[in-house]
Amino acid sequence: MNRGIVLLLLFSVLILLSGCWSKKELTDIAIISAFGIDKNDKGQYVGTIQVINPGNVTGGQQDGGSSIGPPINVYTETGNNLTEVSRKFSTGISRRLYYAHTNLVVVGERLAREDGILRLFDAMDRDPEFRITSEVIIAQDMEAKDIVRTITPIDKIPSNKVIKTLKSTEKNWGTHLRANMKDVLNNLVSDGKEPLITGFRIKGEIDQAMKMANIEETTPKAVLEAEGIALFRNGKLVDWLQGSTARGSLWILDKIEKTDVNINWQEHEEAIAYEVIRQKTKVLPKIYNEEPLITIDVSAEGDIGEVEIPVDLTDPLVLVKIEKEVEKEIKKEIQEAIKQAQKNKSDVFGFGEVVQRADPKLWKKLKSDWNSVYFPELVVDVKVDAFVRRTGIRTKSFLTEIEENRK
Amino acid sequence: MEKAKISSYQLFVLVLLFELGSALLLPLAMTAKQDAWIAVLLGMIGGMFLFIIFFRLYQYYPDKLPTMYAQMIVGKPLGKVLAFLYILYFAYLAARVLRDFGVMLVTFAYPETPLFIVNALLIIVVVYAVRKGIEVLGRTGELLFTIMYLLVVTGFILIVISGLIDVNNLKPILGEGILPVIKAAFTETLYFPFGETVVFAMIFPYLNNSRKARIAGLTAIGLSGINLTLVMLMNISVLGVNLTSRAPFPLLATIQMIQVAEFIERLDIFFMLALIIGGFFKIGIFFYAVVTGVANLFSIESHTRLCYPMALVVLLLSITMASSFAEHVKEGYKFVPMLLHLPFQVFFPIILLVIAMIKRRKA
Amino acid sequence: MPGFFKNKHKKSNTTNENQTQPPSEQDFPDSIDVRLSNNLDVIKNKTGNSFDVIIRNVSIGLQPKIQTAIVYIDGLVDSQSIKDFLIESIIKSPDLQEKLIQQDPLEVIEDEALPFGSIRNAHDWVQLFSALMDGETIILVDGKTKVLVVDTRGGDRRSIEEPTSQVTVRGPRDGFTESIITNTSLVRRRIKSPNLWVEARKLGKVTNTDVAIMYINGIANEKIVEEVRRRIDQIDVDSVLESGYIEQFIEDQTFTSFPTLYHTERPDTVSGNLLEGRIAIFVDGTPFVLIAPAVFIQFFQAVEDYYARFDIATALRFLRILIFSISIIAPAAYIAATTFHQEMIPTQLLIAVAAQREAVPFPAFVEALIMEVTFEILREAGIRMPRAVGSAISIVGALVIGQAAVQAGIVSPAMTIVVAMTAIASFATPSFAMAISARLVRFVFMIAAATFGFYGIILGIIMLTIHLSGLRSFGVPYMTPMAPFILKENADTFFRLPWWALKRRPQLISEGNMIRVGKDQKPEPPIGRGMLKFTEEKGDQDE
Repeated sequence: MNRGIVLLLLFSVLILLSGCWSKKELTDIAIISAFGIDKNDKGQYVGTIQVINPGNVTGGQQDGGSSIGPPINVYTETGNNLTEVSRKFSTGISRRLYYAHTNLVVVGERLAREDGILRLFDAMDRDPEFRITSEVIIAQDMEAKDIVRTITPIDKIPSNKVIKTLKSTEKNWGTHLRANMKDVLNNLVSDGKEPLITGFRIKGEIDQAMKMANIEETTPKAVLEAEGIALFRNGKLVDWLQGSTARGSLWILDKIEKTDVNINWQEHEEAIAYEVIRQKTKVLPKIYNEEPLITIDVSAEGDIGEVEIPVDLTDPLVLVKIEKEVEKEIKKEIQEAIKQAQKNKSDVFGFGEVVQRADPKLWKKLKSDWNSVYFPELVVDVKVDAFVRRTGIRTKSFLTEIEENRK
Repeated sequence: MEKAKISSYQLFVLVLLFELGSALLLPLAMTAKQDAWIAVLLGMIGGMFLFIIFFRLYQYYPDKLPTMYAQMIVGKPLGKVLAFLYILYFAYLAARVLRDFGVMLVTFAYPETPLFIVNALLIIVVVYAVRKGIEVLGRTGELLFTIMYLLVVTGFILIVISGLIDVNNLKPILGEGILPVIKAAFTETLYFPFGETVVFAMIFPYLNNSRKARIAGLTAIGLSGINLTLVMLMNISVLGVNLTSRAPFPLLATIQMIQVAEFIERLDIFFMLALIIGGFFKIGIFFYAVVTGVANLFSIESHTRLCYPMALVVLLLSITMASSFAEHVKEGYKFVPMLLHLPFQVFFPIILLVIAMIKRRKA
Repeated sequence: MPGFFKNKHKKSNTTNENQTQPPSEQDFPDSIDVRLSNNLDVIKNKTGNSFDVIIRNVSIGLQPKIQTAIVYIDGLVDSQSIKDFLIESIIKSPDLQEKLIQQDPLEVIEDEALPFGSIRNAHDWVQLFSALMDGETIILVDGKTKVLVVDTRGGDRRSIEEPTSQVTVRGPRDGFTESIITNTSLVRRRIKSPNLWVEARKLGKVTNTDVAIMYINGIANEKIVEEVRRRIDQIDVDSVLESGYIEQFIEDQTFTSFPTLYHTERPDTVSGNLLEGRIAIFVDGTPFVLIAPAVFIQFFQAVEDYYARFDIATALRFLRILIFSISIIAPAAYIAATTFHQEMIPTQLLIAVAAQREAVPFPAFVEALIMEVTFEILREAGIRMPRAVGSAISIVGALVIGQAAVQAGIVSPAMTIVVAMTAIASFATPSFAMAISARLVRFVFMIAAATFGFYGIILGIIMLTIHLSGLRSFGVPYMTPMAPFILKENADTFFRLPWWALKRRPQLISEGNMIRVGKDQKPEPPIGRGMLKFTEEKGDQDE
């Protein structure tokens, strides 16, 4: 019995002496919410981190009155690779950098075009703290540093705003998509698909973006907005998809949830708004004589959101005509997107993967030249089926009433 | 041998927890790429056959530990040597699993903590359990089984809800043909984890109902096989083949992807806990076999005193067995299946069984 | 140092202390003297002339008068019955007086005079004093070496009131008192079967406390009864003042935080347990009755569960297990999450907690320790202090800890919430014994969490499970029926299926008659309206 007690005592002393190696007090860590990567003229990496200042995020209520400092602080550092950059930050920051909550990674456009993103991600992929669910965006026409420095209204933490904006626009407008690191890495590796990454830019005065004054007016001087979608080839940024071509790509990728398709009606441009509620896109391959053929089958369902001219919405034949116009419009968007991708010789839609799944043996032969030869010449057949289910809570527009009254 | 009896349900639970133990953690049959899950299924069927062989040997010599009946089958000197080799084998495997779990913890959660400490803590808990005997181990299994299973099922549901599963990642099914799958099954999954049930030969003598136990054991293997298949299916469909083969612990990578309703995310720790329960049982059973075997072979009355020195042996072995994780993994793929698993799980039991059958016929 | 590792054989020189020597047993003279006055002297000397030892000299009979003495201890006896029956019946009746001279006066008194329930003889001093101390009356007759012992036990007892430690909404409100005979009677009122057997003992060399073992013959497992008997008979101690003394002597394992014997103040709990085949141990002088064997799940069952409907009873049981787990793990989980695994916490919450922790000078573990210890202090203070001061202290506690400490920046609000939740959770455990064990285990978990984060917690959980699985209570595994898993018995663990479904008694505890609910007990009222005559013709309309 004595022996047992002695051992127990020794062991407990051991525990207390150990110092608990992996312990990190909350006051000893700097929580990083966004990480931006640029390149400088010397070819070195420039890392920018957005550090959260917890007291300024929630505080201000208890002390009352005194002016609140910015909720984030931004630091910049240069180095030859990301790990070096990350450790060099310690010369300027009093705490240990904590990457587990880094939900946003921003890559500067220049770096993406010139060097490509292939070499960037290994450090983030390998590190146990970094999570591969972080969202990736490109800083369009500017440096990642600027985006990371911006202070945003309503969302105290700017990286939250970016991520939430991405989520909501992918869902509601459909011209931007989310790309988390896992997807980007998988697409980079896959020979049948190239990555697509959304780009953000600052609209307004860039140098005002980092000041608290930015959010002190009802209209901030500098606002972060999603702009286009970056197209990559072999890891390098080659082009931007904007507006309708961007949306076209999302149609193909089956990522559209809700959006608005405007159609022309009887010489009136953009007269009727068709709100897509749900859609399903199927990408089907057909192999003829060792040549692949892709069919894109879209079926969309939606409501009539708005009419600007008197149209009789109670007549099913009219609805059928509207449907046809919508189908034409969607088909056009998709074809434009495909054309742009083919021009850039980059299969961002995953047609290669589709062919691989259908005929692995054929794929083995085609894959090395897929992007350069086969994809640009690929024949893609687009079929769209649109349905108008409902017309909101009104049947005929009041405009129709006015028209009829005039008669 | 201690005076203990375990029920068939306890055997079921122990086999299940043992099988899931480190197999949940590590990538299985990745040489078959996206068809890895088929390899797991095939391995499970093979494992069931092996289990029947082990159980048959037990049925010939109920109430006798393998260390004893090996001597009865092939004679004392050879039998003792064989028994000793098996003990070394089990000790090595215990150290392997300990190393696997230690590395997992150190990689994901406690980078600054020395591996020795992490391993030491786990082995201390194992010693505590094994000292109390197989009955306590069985009962603990019954209790923890529910918790672990709940966690696993919750994880599965969360992954499905997150919408992370992309069935396309599984295609093309059998894209390279059935051959790589069969190869993977017979060089990898048959031995790990299914053939490792050979260690239960040391536990069968404690059963109180042998007929029910056979069904219990086979059911456990089947259930664990299905579970592992589902897990590999999930891993590949969520992460993609490429990432699954690059991740040292694919299930954890999958769990890291869960994002539901804004705040249910970053739940890796909980699943790590479930995995530790599995690891505890796997190490525990191997360790129990080692201690009981040594006690039996060297005619030592009670196994409790042996626990501490044996634990030290296993602990040190787990630290020294490989100097880097890459070495450890490579050892596990290249040398262990052919050099260790094949003889100990397949050859020796079959030979023993054949000799035993012949002896029966004669008598 | 080496001395630690040698075997300890050096402790054998204290054998003298092992045997308790009852004080001055040898001082009794050999037997009762013939002469009354000598006997009375012995009694007076032995009791040191204690003022409550009453010696009443009575002369009875006609010529010649026989000297007798009636000795009793005031306060232990029912003085009314002594006054009315004892003394009166010996003195008054004239026929008696005659007989007293003619025949043996002791026999006459014993057979004819006294209208008491229990009268017996005592032959030596040991029996005499034992009876006297018990509250019985001794009648000594001059010239006789035998004495009469009359059972006049009574005296002031606490009346039967509602037990304060286990209160229910629905259920009987009587609770045990300090008198063992009252207690056994309360159980007898509920189980009116002749198979309810009670065996009495006296424990404690100095205190001579009455101890009774009660069980239902045919339902209780004879082996367990035998084991209980054996363990109790082995107890060799000076005093037994409370059932807790006995508990610590007969429990299976001392070095555990968890109770292996259940205690209760309620007769309905005892009855329910007896019917499951358990054994009750009553101790005179305390209302707390022990029940053996006890398994883990019992401490989470409130007696009220059996009176309530099955859905709420089941839900409450789950809730209790959840509460218990919270009370053990909550502070540890908080420490682990904020010091090791910050990635687990959603970003928004992490920022809020980080903002709070900026103001606090201590690491999370120290803070948790301070809060927990402070709460334990408060709890102890709450028990000890007089009711009048109670509310003042609670205000101070709430203000000091809740407000001032937080504002002074000594503790953070989040920690206060965690500690408060834990405290409330620990009060919600039905059995106080289990709640106490949780208190200590919680600290162990906190230390484990502070050194190794969640790994420490999970290892702690595994160790706790191993420990619990290894405990036995009188041979029954502590975690029955979860482990070993007995399917049928699980109807009464986490769940509580309706009474008609609880057909069998727990199999490891009882033997023999296993079925307690007859066949087809599920209530099945006749279908439809056949019950009410008038609705058959008219349907739902009443007119």
